[in-house]
Amino acid sequence: MSLRRHLLEAATLVLAAILCALVANALASRERKLALVGSYPNALVVPEKAEAIAPAAPASNGGAPASAESPFEGKHPGPSEKSAPKATVPPQGSEARAFSSSPADLLKRFPPHNKPYVEISGDDVAWLVARRVLVLDARRTKDYEEGHIALARSFPVWESDIDARVTALVGEGRDGAIPVVLYCSGGDCEDSHMLAQKLFGAGFNNLLVYRDGWPDWVKRGGSSVTGPES
Amino acid sequence: MTPKEALASPWLTVRVQIALGLFFVAAALPKLVDPPSFAHMVYNYRLVPGAFVNLMALVMPWLELLAGLALILGIWTRASTGLVGALLLVFIAAISLNLARGNAIDCGCFDVAQANKTIDERLADMRLDILRDLGMLLMVAQILWVKGREGHKIVPSTL
Repeated sequence: MSLRRHLLEAATLVLAAILCALVANALASRERKLALVGSYPNALVVPEKAEAIAPAAPASNGGAPASAESPFEGKHPGPSEKSAPKATVPPQGSEARAFSSSPADLLKRFPPHNKPYVEISGDDVAWLVARRVLVLDARRTKDYEEGHIALARSFPVWESDIDARVTALVGEGRDGAIPVVLYCSGGDCEDSHMLAQKLFGAGFNNLLVYRDGWPDWVKRGGSSVTGPES
Repeated sequence: MTPKEALASPWLTVRVQIALGLFFVAAALPKLVDPPSFAHMVYNYRLVPGAFVNLMALVMPWLELLAGLALILGIWTRASTGLVGALLLVFIAAISLNLARGNAIDCGCFDVAQANKTIDERLADMRLDILRDLGMLLMVAQILWVKGREGHKIVPSTL
């Protein structure tokens, strides 16, 4: 009898917690709200090697694309294949100056790869940003507002409206073959990879993840902006 | 007073109850303030199917808060202690499993901000987290033992 009463009390606490959670989430602001049903395809997949997603050391080859399956390696000359060590790359403050570049130039260096994403270095990102490709920031809104790559758009993958943002982006009718750069906080941050998975499923097939992310961009002195998305 | 009597004293039990309740309330608050960050933490454990990550991240902090408050206020003490014990067992199992498979994660127990730690630092923290949770499990055991032994309700008013 006593056990039944205690179980009933415990069940009441659990039900109260569920009710409070649902009400709190319904009343939460956009940045704090969660979709009730998550969509994380790799939620049960343990990263194969933890070291593989640890903060990346300067690349010995001067910052060539990280992925061994990168289609760019050894094919397309450019900043990512400079022989100078990555640490000696000068600040990329000039990338705010837009270079004239046709889609053909972009596709020549970064052809569509039909994979969810390919990781690229900061040199590649600087090259792409200078040519005003679409850049998406997958970090939380508050992090975006504290500073982001100039012209980057906010796509916080952990906030409830991410699917709506992806749908809106698809609705813009962009060519899915044109490179899109995605970044988050570097190191073991997977937010940009998760965003790439979503966009790949939505028809984008030239998604380039900035492997070292925002901290690397700051270290390089890349052009950045603070404040909310305009 | 024998050690057994001291361990079973209402004076000690009420304090253990309140301390445990405070731990859980303190653990719940950062998660309630920033559910997406906590969902990220839950995801990092790689133990919860993707569809349930958000739901767990929303409900668990409220469960911690309500159980913690019940312990502090002395309401439904055995039920709330049982829930806290069950949560602790889940936490210990989840951290141990990730430790065993070398998945270095931030615990997300009392803070949901991503800590910029090395893999070794994270693994060391995970071991400490397990020890801390085992300590709290001892507190749970003390409360349940006294409740079962004496069969009477202890509230903070007996302080």
